[in-house]
Amino acid sequence: MGLRSGDQLLVDPMTPFMTTTVWVVPLLIAWAWRIRQAATPSAWLLRIAFAGFGAWAIWFGMYAHGGEPSGLLFWKPTLFYWTLAAIAIVAPVLGWTAPAKIIVGAYFVLSSREWRWINRGFASACVMLGTVNLLVASMTSYRNWVDFKFSCLMILLFIGLFRLNFVWLPLFVDLSINLYRRAAVAYRYLSRLI
Amino acid sequence: MPAERILIKLAQLTWPEGRTEQITLTSTGKSGGAGEIFAIDTQPHLVAKVYHSTTTPPQLEHYRHKIQWMLNHRPTLPQIPAEYQGIVQLAWPEALILHESRFIGFAMRKIAFDRTLELDYLLNRRQASQEDFDIDYGKLVAVCFNLAAIISCLHSMRIAIVDLKPMNVKVYKSELFVSILDCDGFHIATDEFCSDAPQVTPDYLAPEFQGGAVTHPEAQDRFALATIIFRLLNYGIHPFSGVGVNSRDYPPELAGRIRDRLYPYGTSAHKNVRKVPASVHEALPNPLRELFDRAFSALAINRPSAHEWVGSLSVYAVKQSGQMLPCSRGHLKFSSSKCPTCLRDQLIEGATARRRSFLARMQAAPSRTLKYVKKTLRQTHTSPFQAALAQTQFAAVHLTPRTLMSTRNAIAAEILWVCGLVISYWWTQ
Repeated sequence: MGLRSGDQLLVDPMTPFMTTTVWVVPLLIAWAWRIRQAATPSAWLLRIAFAGFGAWAIWFGMYAHGGEPSGLLFWKPTLFYWTLAAIAIVAPVLGWTAPAKIIVGAYFVLSSREWRWINRGFASACVMLGTVNLLVASMTSYRNWVDFKFSCLMILLFIGLFRLNFVWLPLFVDLSINLYRRAAVAYRYLSRLI
Repeated sequence: MPAERILIKLAQLTWPEGRTEQITLTSTGKSGGAGEIFAIDTQPHLVAKVYHSTTTPPQLEHYRHKIQWMLNHRPTLPQIPAEYQGIVQLAWPEALILHESRFIGFAMRKIAFDRTLELDYLLNRRQASQEDFDIDYGKLVAVCFNLAAIISCLHSMRIAIVDLKPMNVKVYKSELFVSILDCDGFHIATDEFCSDAPQVTPDYLAPEFQGGAVTHPEAQDRFALATIIFRLLNYGIHPFSGVGVNSRDYPPELAGRIRDRLYPYGTSAHKNVRKVPASVHEALPNPLRELFDRAFSALAINRPSAHEWVGSLSVYAVKQSGQMLPCSRGHLKFSSSKCPTCLRDQLIEGATARRRSFLARMQAAPSRTLKYVKKTLRQTHTSPFQAALAQTQFAAVHLTPRTLMSTRNAIAAEILWVCGLVISYWWTQ
């Protein structure tokens, strides 16, 4: 196992140590600060799916010399979308929490009925995107297929912005208040010492 | 400190009736655009204006003709009661001054500077009080009336001032009569003699003459007179200073605003310009406001003459008319309108209070914001309005109680969420 020659972070080539650090450290922090509550079956299902997808991505994206199997190129997005769709469809059938609630975030206070409809919409969108990906890949040029894929990435951008506005900003404010409070306490403590 | 240079000249004074006398001129240190002022040893009540040595012979010859005509045609000015001594209403030429038989200037009556102050000072109450002159609307109306009366007399003789502006007018502090300087620069248009007046000041120049020659000097005087009266009665605010509705098209200099007739103080509002907030024009009586409207917003042909101003102002300038009464706080005001002094105080106090309040709000803003954010996050708003606002802002967001541990939990969850996003990107790109 060795670093692929083309692997880079931004512009500089990365050593195997750095490559590993980039994904291991955040996961360690997440593990250390994890919520000490039992996860729902839907959450476990999603974790397993993303762990699989993530392991695949880390291995073929960072370490494997030969790169990912060439036959998988056109199927990759479809496989991803359809897996999510399958989880989103199966979980409610089994009586588990709607997976969309976990993906969008439990911060948002909505009724179970509303979550179910969001989950259905999410599943439908995933099925449709996976299908359209195959259709575009088989019926149009490679260039058109690449354009289609990048247009689908806009969805991720919107999801990221949504999260930024409603979750990360309040979190940042909370962190700032904590730091401010601690700085004030430290200042009072230091001024007493001096 | 360098010693003041004192220039002494020997000259000859030639009176209108032909009598002459030898005099000595002593420099006073005062100098203007056209000439320098000298004291005359034998005539302490007169001063001499001697034209600069750079004046060309044709120009000097023109001055001589003009002064000669003025000596022979002294205007009839408004009567001054006998108890007022030494009032000079016009610095009109009294005699020619020759040097080696050559015309060099003229003598005029000396204006007692210790008894007078520039009209400019009356536009600013603080400046006026520094000169021991306490302004009230009664005095201002009297000054306006006296100025209009002199100009009316000049116009009746087809003489126009043209460069009429507060700096060229002096006011007697006790008597409230006015004195107009620089008479040799007046425009004269009689049947036997004509002399133009090329000097103008853009801030007092009528719209039709902005950027061109003054072809109707009396119309120019009417405009300048109305401008001076407006400023005197409105705390120095120029009738064409205002706030542009569309700042891009609003000329930055007064001359441009006059040219575009952007007069915001009319009885009906101007659509392109708003008044200065401190203006008290609404407290002026309607007859005067109508005259201002005619002077600034209507055509030049409708501009009120000095004689009309005299007629309108005389009602308020005469104490016996009862048109000016003290308000509840003792300020003199026009009987038909609210007190302009009280109105001005209210406007200034209001502006000061608003400024103080704004500064206080700005200073308290950081701590208030922090408090608001804290309350929002803790959901402890006491004001129903703020609570509703906070609820609206984070309506769809449920946040667990903000202890340090739960913040860490949230960070852990978000790290996993970002990992999921990156994985999604890798699989779909």
